[in-house]
Amino acid sequence: MELEGSQTLAAAPDQVWAALFDRDVLAQAIPGCETLEQTSETSFSAMVKLKIGPVSARFKGDVELSDIDPGRSCTLSGKGSGGIAGFAKGAARVTLTPEGPQTVLDYTADVAVGGKLAALGNRLIKATAQKLTGEFFANFNTALTHEENAPAA
Amino acid sequence: MTAGNEHIGQAHRRGNALRHLAGRGRFVTDLALPRMLHAAFVRSPMARGRIAELDVSDAAAAPGVVRVFTAETLNKTCAPWTGTLEHFAGMKSAPQNILAEGAVLWAGHPVTMILAHSRAEAEDACELVLLDIEEEEAVVDGDAALLDGAAPASEGIDSNLCFRTVLETPGLDDAFASAAHVVEESFTFGRHTAVTLEPRAVIADFDPSTGQLTVHQGTQTPYQFQDVYARHFGLPESKVRVIAPDVGGSFGMKLHVYNEEMATVAASLTLGRPVRFVADRLESFVSDIHARDHRVTARMAVDAAGTILAMDVDDMTQIGAFSTYPRTSVAEGNQVIRLMGAPYRMPDYRGRLSVVFQNKVQTSQYRAVGHPIACAVTEALVDRAAEQLDLDPFEIRARNLVADDAYPHVSATGYQFEKLSHQTSLAKLRQLMDYDTLRSEQAELRRQGIYRGIGIAPFVEITNPGAAFYGVGGARISAQDGAVVRLTPGGDVQCAISVTEQGQGTETIIAQIVADQLGVTPDQVKVTTGDTDTTPSGGATWACRGAGIGGETALRAGRRLQAQILAIAGAVLQADPATLALAGGAVIDSGTGRERITLAEIGRIATYRPDTLPEGCDNSLSAVQHFAPTGYPFDFTNGIQASHVEVDIETGVTRLLKHWVVEDCGRIINPLLVDEQIRGGVVQGLGPAFFEECLYDDMGQMTNASLADYLVPMAGEMPDIEIAHVETPTLDTILGAKGVGEAGTAAAGAAAMNAVNDALRPLGARISQTPMTPLRILTALGHV
Repeated sequence: MELEGSQTLAAAPDQVWAALFDRDVLAQAIPGCETLEQTSETSFSAMVKLKIGPVSARFKGDVELSDIDPGRSCTLSGKGSGGIAGFAKGAARVTLTPEGPQTVLDYTADVAVGGKLAALGNRLIKATAQKLTGEFFANFNTALTHEENAPAA
Repeated sequence: MTAGNEHIGQAHRRGNALRHLAGRGRFVTDLALPRMLHAAFVRSPMARGRIAELDVSDAAAAPGVVRVFTAETLNKTCAPWTGTLEHFAGMKSAPQNILAEGAVLWAGHPVTMILAHSRAEAEDACELVLLDIEEEEAVVDGDAALLDGAAPASEGIDSNLCFRTVLETPGLDDAFASAAHVVEESFTFGRHTAVTLEPRAVIADFDPSTGQLTVHQGTQTPYQFQDVYARHFGLPESKVRVIAPDVGGSFGMKLHVYNEEMATVAASLTLGRPVRFVADRLESFVSDIHARDHRVTARMAVDAAGTILAMDVDDMTQIGAFSTYPRTSVAEGNQVIRLMGAPYRMPDYRGRLSVVFQNKVQTSQYRAVGHPIACAVTEALVDRAAEQLDLDPFEIRARNLVADDAYPHVSATGYQFEKLSHQTSLAKLRQLMDYDTLRSEQAELRRQGIYRGIGIAPFVEITNPGAAFYGVGGARISAQDGAVVRLTPGGDVQCAISVTEQGQGTETIIAQIVADQLGVTPDQVKVTTGDTDTTPSGGATWACRGAGIGGETALRAGRRLQAQILAIAGAVLQADPATLALAGGAVIDSGTGRERITLAEIGRIATYRPDTLPEGCDNSLSAVQHFAPTGYPFDFTNGIQASHVEVDIETGVTRLLKHWVVEDCGRIINPLLVDEQIRGGVVQGLGPAFFEECLYDDMGQMTNASLADYLVPMAGEMPDIEIAHVETPTLDTILGAKGVGEAGTAAAGAAAMNAVNDALRPLGARISQTPMTPLRILTALGHV
């Protein structure tokens, strides 16, 4: 299943870039994120609770960033296991382009799901994935704006 | 003295329908036994992989959980099973056992069984099982599976070719070389599944104090499962009782051995208490057998006069990681290549079959095994030949169908036909559907931009199989059936018979047949089925044998009891039994019809006052009779179907306007039930022609395993189905009945595909893939 989209974020590319690697920002942005640990400079492990159609599950997964072109683009790949609910895996290519004071973030993702998640219909999953992506960027944008406005630590 | 035919041939309603309407159904799920545990399974989410870690300790400690089984703890109780038969020379399949050991081989493969006080608790505990699978590349596509170097779909096999066979007549090449026209096409028939109203359900109840295992199971074939459980769990056959109570639809799906049923029996044997498994709809989709899944390329040679000379067919069918047990997954393909061209005089033929393993749910026998594929391919090519020769579809068939007086006839593939009625059926259909009027209406509407199509499809159906189907290949599947008929002391009749009831009315027709032998009414005959302890052993219900074989068994058992009753009556009345007959619940004088003594009186004397019978008079009021078909290996039926459709060329949506069937199932026992069978069969043929398909992605994941996404045919989409009959009884039996359960399914899709292509013809488009979805029709039209 392929997903693609574009989001305009209220921050400059280098701020966005930094936030993409920032555990705290990601933890706020990922819908249903219960725990997020940075396991190396470019990898995270997470526990995320999601409900997709009739299936609700806790996904335990790892995310790795690669093909890094600092400030411009990178690939996030990951896989998560939701126990009897099945599994999800995929990769997303993220590209940042400055637009005035803002940043346009384009992404193309290829996502595959298995087990109960797949069996219950790609129809639900695509809609849910789009909704989750929307929520992620909305949260991400809020976190970015919040960080910007927050007093320096 | 032969009894009359007062009830055979009459429309009697199914007695059990009233009970079901009254809410008094007795399905496996209605049964609650003391101390019963409920099973749920953790299944592989991946189509192919290796179990890297399996930790069930948290699940075992979860609320309500009594026991958790893995392959290590459960499989050792069961001898592995292998789905091969000897008459499919060279076929192979890896041995199977209950739970996945090391490798997982399809998405849905059970890995862990959890038993709890409720299904909900068992399901909750499933979430606590830690199952880590290292994913491996799944074998998804059958053609790719056969390439050199393709990974095998299961362990213990050296390639993904389960079975290959070729049938060929010597004249094939000459036939094609001399042909005036050769038409050719490639077909894809999608995978679909049974979607029974009642899912698979089983309760296994082992009593350690007596060593008795009782299995309540929604199945068509209780004796087959008695044998399977006895052999695979090392139990004496007499200690295994299988009871099939009411069964909510079966269609071939409920006669295969499944991991979950074996697990349920194994768990009950281990724990010494009742264990229940009832599949939920998602589990049904990823564990019930699927059907079809064929890719066929075929060509047909015809001469300048439209005479069919030969067909050359290559069928590749994809069956999952294992061949099913005990009937194999080869029978379907085997019938596909043998049924090609069966209604026609066609002298030459070549059929090649490749049966291929892959990492999906198993496919196997489902209603009309192989027939819809062979029929659709044959009839599509006949229509194409007609088009090339500018012949009407009726005309080309009239020129090629075997003449009604040309029997016995042997097909190019070796099937022997006793007597069929293709030409009479063809003529009857033409009249029934008012063909000429429909054609002029079609031409008129095309001028208005409305695209209607008419398609016809003659067919044969294999019924009343003897041991040739399975027995000769070494399968312990009975080709014979048995019945015990008895007169009660009060003069009523009971019949315990091995054929079973899944809603089609088996018990009703058995009552009609027995009633006629004993001169009573069907409601005076209580029929018992589906219990290995209380009925004689037999094949039960599959491959259209309930009426033809079960009915003949009942008839012969009834006649045997009739003779016993007349002998007792003769002794009591001091009359020659040959001058007596049974009618109206009494023994009558066959010459005058005068009542001599009632059956109740015979029952009373034989039971309570046997001392008044003359010395040496046998007072037995029970008769037992078994019957195995002899004569032809199968009793073929025939018929023809027609479909009238309208295709919206803007949306690709097909509207089914009308469907006609002319059917010859030999002697009709109950016209109401015969027509029910045909109508239901047609719907089950139209479903996969237009709607039903198990969709898989390229990782081997089924992506529409719910009734929100898997489309079943609904009443609103179905056309009116008009039915007419021709009756050509088989002379192999006294009853003369053949089967009818699969006739509707055999040709409905073929007629529909011809109808859709007839509608698309003026636009230069063709479709040869099922289901014929709007998207595929638009693709054929070049709109997408």
